[in-house]
Amino acid sequence: MPPTPTMSNTILLHKASDGELINNLKGTGIDKKKAEEQLFTTYSYFIKEGERKYKLSHEDIFDAYADAALAVIEKIKDDSFKGLSSIKTYLYQVFHNKCVDLLRKKTTNKQSVHQTASITESMFELSDSAKSIINKLMEKTDFDLLKQKLNELGDNCRQLLLLWADGYSDKEIVAELTYKTADVVKTTRLRCMDKLRQLYNTKLY
Amino acid sequence: MENLDYIESYFKNELPAEEKTQFEQKIINDKNFAEEVAFYCSARQIIKDELNKEKKEQFKKIYQQKNISHQNTGIVKKIWTFSAAAAAIIVIVFGWYFFVKPVSTQQLADEYIQQYFQTLGVSMSSKQDSVDVGKSLYNDGKLPEALQQFEKIINTNSKNFEAIKYAGIVSLKLKNYDKALAYFSQIENDSVFSNPAKIYKAITLMERNNAGDKEQAKELLQQIIQNNLDEKETAEKWLKKKW
Repeated sequence: MPPTPTMSNTILLHKASDGELINNLKGTGIDKKKAEEQLFTTYSYFIKEGERKYKLSHEDIFDAYADAALAVIEKIKDDSFKGLSSIKTYLYQVFHNKCVDLLRKKTTNKQSVHQTASITESMFELSDSAKSIINKLMEKTDFDLLKQKLNELGDNCRQLLLLWADGYSDKEIVAELTYKTADVVKTTRLRCMDKLRQLYNTKLY
Repeated sequence: MENLDYIESYFKNELPAEEKTQFEQKIINDKNFAEEVAFYCSARQIIKDELNKEKKEQFKKIYQQKNISHQNTGIVKKIWTFSAAAAAIIVIVFGWYFFVKPVSTQQLADEYIQQYFQTLGVSMSSKQDSVDVGKSLYNDGKLPEALQQFEKIINTNSKNFEAIKYAGIVSLKLKNYDKALAYFSQIENDSVFSNPAKIYKAITLMERNNAGDKEQAKELLQQIIQNNLDEKETAEKWLKKKW
């Protein structure tokens, strides 16, 4: 069972019901950003509770909680969260699972094992044979280098790609950045991806 | 670029079923295309990771700020304890000062005059009556002229309640207490809708502060309370103080 919230947390909960929070998380701009921060803050008392319960370091527990909050936000945004439980219960379950994973890794000394990037949700749509090929190719990806090249892309491209990864449509990006139309956003975004590939390949070969 | 657009269309689920199958077949048959798709997925993953990293940084800042504010709350609580003790002492001292130490009746009267006799309300009508003329003079600080105006009205109509009341107020402001008392006494028992003459009389006595004036003022205040007259609340407030 999730721990009992403090008075201030309860007040926050009353301030924005799950429904309102979900609506804002599915939105864009400042409302969405505030909703994400609100979800994180409202249940951040789980961190202290986690420290006591799982006997892990504050940094580990904080990471587990932040990852859990981001995962829940993602689930809400892509409609995977069906509202069968409250956000609090759902988040607590995800957080608990992450802490247990962390404990397992600690006890079996597996934390040093290289972690490959997880399969993106959209990849599940691929047929098994195609998915297997893509997985094998992705395993060869030098993610550190790719990350380095992403940071070399320049602020405009980076910002554009981050908004895209955050689920903003090209039309919504027009409102956030200084592009004239959604078509311009799309062309620029694809050019940025192409540039990233060129940067990555140049260094690689 | 073209392939990127095509790859994105697939992952955005924009392709018809037939083209989706063709897309997957192309991954199997075309190594270069498969590499492009793998790059797209890897890039998307790394961008997402970067995004989450930024969000986690932001969360960390928020959490630290929240914790700092909690720590500050602890310090504030300690400060509050000391402040509360200091405040309690101040309350006791001031309580003694206000409730145990005898109050200055003149001061109470001064405060009332300052608050309510600063200006007199003039009719908003375009046509001023003679009482309004007196009040305008009063508001302009022309007190002797105002008194003259009110007395002129009284001379023509000795029962003019408003003129007598204002003549009393002007006399009080001019520190002509005997005259003020005489005017207020004339109307203190008049049955009009609102008659504050008794408290005005009490105030005049409190201001004059001759021997016995304080006791007489106190008696008037008690009458106001007993008879539920105008300014009953003020009378109650003043009588709660030690005279």
